[in-house]
Amino acid sequence: MHARYHHGVTAARRRILITGVSRFWGGHLAQRLESHPDVEEIVAIDTMGPTVELHRTDVVRADIRHSLIGKLVRSMDIDTVVHTALIVDPQRSGGRSVHETNVIGTMNLLAACAGADSPVRKLVVKASTAVYGSEPSDPSFWSERMTRKAPARDAFTRDLDEVESYVHEFSLRKPEAIVTLMRFANILGPTHDTPFTRLFDLPVVPTVLGFDPRLQFLHEQDAVRVLEHAVLNDRPGTFNVAGDGIALVSQAISMMGKVNAPILPFIGAGPVMFAINRVLPVNFPQHLVRLLQFGRVVDTTALRERFGITLSHSTIDTLREHARERRVRKIVRDQRRYRYEADLEEFLRARTTSGNGHGANKSDQPSVVLPPSSERRTSTRRVRTRVASKRSNGVKP
Amino acid sequence: MSTQVPRKRPAATTSNGHRRQVSLATLRRDLPVTAMTATGTLAMRLRDLTGREVIDLESLQEVMSLAYRIADVRSKHQAGEYEVDEFGFDREWTEMLLPIFRLLYKRYWRVETTGVHVVPSTGPALLVSNHAGVLPFDGAMIKVAILDATERHARALVASWFGGLPMLSWFLRRTGQTLGHPDDSLRLLDAGELVLVFPEGVKGTGKPYGERYRLRRFGRGGFAEVALRAGVPIIPISVVGSEEIYPMIADARPLASLFGMPYFPITPTWPLLGPLGLVPLPSKWRIRFHEPIRTDEYGPGSADDPSLVMRLGDEVRDTIQAGLVEELMVRKGVFRG
Repeated sequence: MHARYHHGVTAARRRILITGVSRFWGGHLAQRLESHPDVEEIVAIDTMGPTVELHRTDVVRADIRHSLIGKLVRSMDIDTVVHTALIVDPQRSGGRSVHETNVIGTMNLLAACAGADSPVRKLVVKASTAVYGSEPSDPSFWSERMTRKAPARDAFTRDLDEVESYVHEFSLRKPEAIVTLMRFANILGPTHDTPFTRLFDLPVVPTVLGFDPRLQFLHEQDAVRVLEHAVLNDRPGTFNVAGDGIALVSQAISMMGKVNAPILPFIGAGPVMFAINRVLPVNFPQHLVRLLQFGRVVDTTALRERFGITLSHSTIDTLREHARERRVRKIVRDQRRYRYEADLEEFLRARTTSGNGHGANKSDQPSVVLPPSSERRTSTRRVRTRVASKRSNGVKP
Repeated sequence: MSTQVPRKRPAATTSNGHRRQVSLATLRRDLPVTAMTATGTLAMRLRDLTGREVIDLESLQEVMSLAYRIADVRSKHQAGEYEVDEFGFDREWTEMLLPIFRLLYKRYWRVETTGVHVVPSTGPALLVSNHAGVLPFDGAMIKVAILDATERHARALVASWFGGLPMLSWFLRRTGQTLGHPDDSLRLLDAGELVLVFPEGVKGTGKPYGERYRLRRFGRGGFAEVALRAGVPIIPISVVGSEEIYPMIADARPLASLFGMPYFPITPTWPLLGPLGLVPLPSKWRIRFHEPIRTDEYGPGSADDPSLVMRLGDEVRDTIQAGLVEELMVRKGVFRG
């Protein structure tokens, strides 16, 4: 399976830092990279624990806004940084904290990786096609070299501009590093909860009156595969990532078997959606309301030809599979959800890795400085003692 | 009366009712055929009586086939199981609506088309036409002419302003149009499509009636550049008749800027008669396809030569203008002929 990756940097084994591991992107990427023999070390960082099962990834509970990140990168000798912490769906967090994570977090992370003494040789950033905006006068296909003409309509797009400018700055300040900026289209899939999955879960889907724009979707498996490909291969540049082909909004809704309700007025669709968000559990962000009106389609020629990956799902396939999966979801609910049992994870990891190569050199490494106690992730030793004491108190075997 | 009610009620609920449902279903199934036969007989009787065609069976048949196609396409669309191309063109849906435009083409504007054989049956070509008539019906008529001759859908480029209009924006996209962006036209030509452009743009459709059939500036010759870059032939088209469908006697500039429109037409019927003013006048149309102008001989890099681009643009413009004058000479009158 791994034979399909032919990359130049096989001599040195990869030491990878992944941000945003508590969310879909970081978690699933770490999971996939774990099974790869060329990856020596994966350090995942986030303010919350991962939501997927991880075996040999070291989870550091820290904020990427913390200035100690530079120390972490240097002491762990990280050569590849994958920044997936960009929040596109501000459901869980309010606008302010989204800005903090997206802009300040990226700025701090890239500043930490940019110094002359930094071991980072590669940066992969998960960005969004939302950076192109959505206007009636847009070209039918956005290629990577094009830029939006209209000013940013919302805070999120403004943040994206800033994030991309920081990435650009990083590539200027560290010209020897390989910088891959991936602009992802909206993704759909069984595990990831996105504004569009919530929208399509409604029995009656609100759309903009008199508009039926073209959209693109990307299957979540493809999304993670693309990120993995960018990590394991050297592909400098900016790439649009979206499923082949397009779907009309009305088409997507009928594929989901839902009712299309053109109730959003074409002037002021945003405020009406805001009101709907108050009543219904959609939480459809403002920057996507314009997408419902004018749509957006990106050109993915570079992804196929220069990046060299063939996606397994087209836009229509993605929708079809999502529809199939959701029909079952009504009956069998949330079976595959993984709960992160921090203590147990740490215990198992300490037990299983002490014998093999990963755990052996762990003690030789300089210890990672962590932020203050409330956010601190437990060290291996502390977990072990705690579990041991629990056992002694409990029932005898 | 009081005896009738209890007698009817059991009939509807028991096995009798079941039989009635079946007969209803058969009736429904047979209704179109029965109606068709009846209308046919009626049309024949009326023809015998009056000595001329009172009911136009051909048009009627087209309306019937339209109704059937709508039902057929709708059932497919309800499941979402249909394909649109990457520009949003839905072939089936467009062909479903075709009878309406064919009716306009044949009966309403009685379009006479000459030289449509020059349109290639395979491979790309750039079709360039004059533009007139407030609403872009000329594009629709050219498309019908090409479709009937070659079974190909010409893809027209529209002003980006249309992208912001409700209803019209999705209608245009769905029927195969896309925005007038050089990338779009090159992409379509690379895919081997027929691309239809109106280099006059809104300056053409929004010109006053007094200046009819006088071509406006052909943009900045962007179409010639695209043709040179793609190395595809240019086919000039002259359309006569489109200028008279909405004779624009004035342009209400303040209203136009209020609604963000490129022009606000005042015609003898619009906005005086309200929605009725939207009905186009039944002028007599003639569409003339000119001999293709080859661009592949100029070789690569020629698209970057501004003087060549301008010369080619002028050549196309002159051909169309000359064609307009010739067709106007042939036409007997605005509505006759």
